[in-house]
Amino acid sequence: MIRVENIYKRFGDLVVLNGVSFEVPKGTTTVILGRSGIGKSVLLKCIVRLIEPDDGKIFIEGKNISELSLKELNDLRKDIGFLFQSAALYDSMSVRENLAFPLVRHTDLSDSEIEERVKETLRLVGLSEAIDKMPSELSGGMRKRIGLARSLILHPKIMLYDEPTTGLDPVTSKEIAKLIIDMQNKFKMTNIVVTHDMVVALSTADRILLLDNGNFIFDGTPDELIKSEIDMAKKFLSTSLD
Amino acid sequence: MKFVENIKYFFSVIGGLTDFTIRFFLEVFRPPYEISEIRKHMDELGVKTFSIVSVTGFIIGLVLGMQSQPVLARFGAEMFLPGMIALSVIRELGPALTALIFAGRVGSGIGAELGSMRVTEQIDAMEVSAVDPFRFLVVTRVIATTLMLPLLTIYVDFIAILGGYVAVIITQNMTFPYYIQLILDAIRFSDLIPGISKTFVFGFVVGIVGSYLGFNASKGTEGVGKASTTSVVISSLLILLIDSVLVRLTLIIFPD
Repeated sequence: MIRVENIYKRFGDLVVLNGVSFEVPKGTTTVILGRSGIGKSVLLKCIVRLIEPDDGKIFIEGKNISELSLKELNDLRKDIGFLFQSAALYDSMSVRENLAFPLVRHTDLSDSEIEERVKETLRLVGLSEAIDKMPSELSGGMRKRIGLARSLILHPKIMLYDEPTTGLDPVTSKEIAKLIIDMQNKFKMTNIVVTHDMVVALSTADRILLLDNGNFIFDGTPDELIKSEIDMAKKFLSTSLD
Repeated sequence: MKFVENIKYFFSVIGGLTDFTIRFFLEVFRPPYEISEIRKHMDELGVKTFSIVSVTGFIIGLVLGMQSQPVLARFGAEMFLPGMIALSVIRELGPALTALIFAGRVGSGIGAELGSMRVTEQIDAMEVSAVDPFRFLVVTRVIATTLMLPLLTIYVDFIAILGGYVAVIITQNMTFPYYIQLILDAIRFSDLIPGISKTFVFGFVVGIVGSYLGFNASKGTEGVGKASTTSVVISSLLILLIDSVLVRLTLIIFPD
């Protein structure tokens, strides 16, 4: 469903992605694990063409995204949900307006149908009571949940998570990880989760890719990662046990 | 060295601004037109600036009247004071000063708002959700500032003329209807058009500069602050530069 072929990206002299390739089969969850600042988010943003790679190809549902017109790209983006690291809720809009925004733009639903879909999606993330709040009134965990709700509201086929638990306490992080699993069980989406949080990685992944120095140094299941002798993998595991 | 860097930065902004302006004109005539967003921004701009332009407008007229009265009295031409106040305000002071206040109040606000949206990934989020952020955030704001500044300027002109009347009655015994009559006798149609017309350009400048700097902000909160303050500096400079060109152009088109 998602195929990434030989992606290169550099910023000045810094090579961030050095010929990265991988595939994500339909309906599965792939976690891209790596230290902060290693280029995981850059890779995720290349997949939705928020950042143009210097070289390489990315195919989504068989379409080479760099060859799509803006209209074709936007049609494809309607099938992709993206949870940003900061949740990226629109500050000037209430929670209701944040969630309704994609529906107003991209569907022919009536006002009452939009209201019903907003409430239904908020129920999914367990935040029905937040419907009239402004983003500034929400905690970090709540913002992530509302961001997830907004990403899910168009029922996307693909879901991309950019550091879904960054800045959250361990308890809330576990709740978000559980939410990712629940959403996957309900909607059967194709997921890519970018994280440095081993708890999230091990609990959500069908497959884990470990990114270091511009390329993957591990590709396997969570069990294989636990048994791996790779130094970086051991370091990540040791931090998750601390 | 700092001065040279500032000059370089100014011209780099002007270069980027030119591309941004071309993009604006390519997008502005294409649907959807986002009328409700434009109306919302116009409401906000009006509320934001109403009180400050009211006070400023009144004081402009008052001070202009008080300063000019003794000068005109020296030549025995005090009866020309209402006309002089109105002409000064309508042709130059109203449009230019309102535009500069607008740049300070609205331009900085747009720079900060869009800058903040950029660094907190809200603009990226909009793009990923298949909504063109340029059309939704930039085009609507620039249209709103372009339409709102002329309306505010007309209002400021009236308020300044009112302030001028207060200056007149301090030294002369003149009724308000007579004051207005003297103004109507002094101004011509060719005085009204250039003053109002150029505020469309000034409004556009404030909107496009603030949007450009905010939309392209980087480096976190520092970038937001820079977008906000730089938008005031650049748009104020451009307003003054464009004004000097337009004044000359006006004198060629309306030689009287």
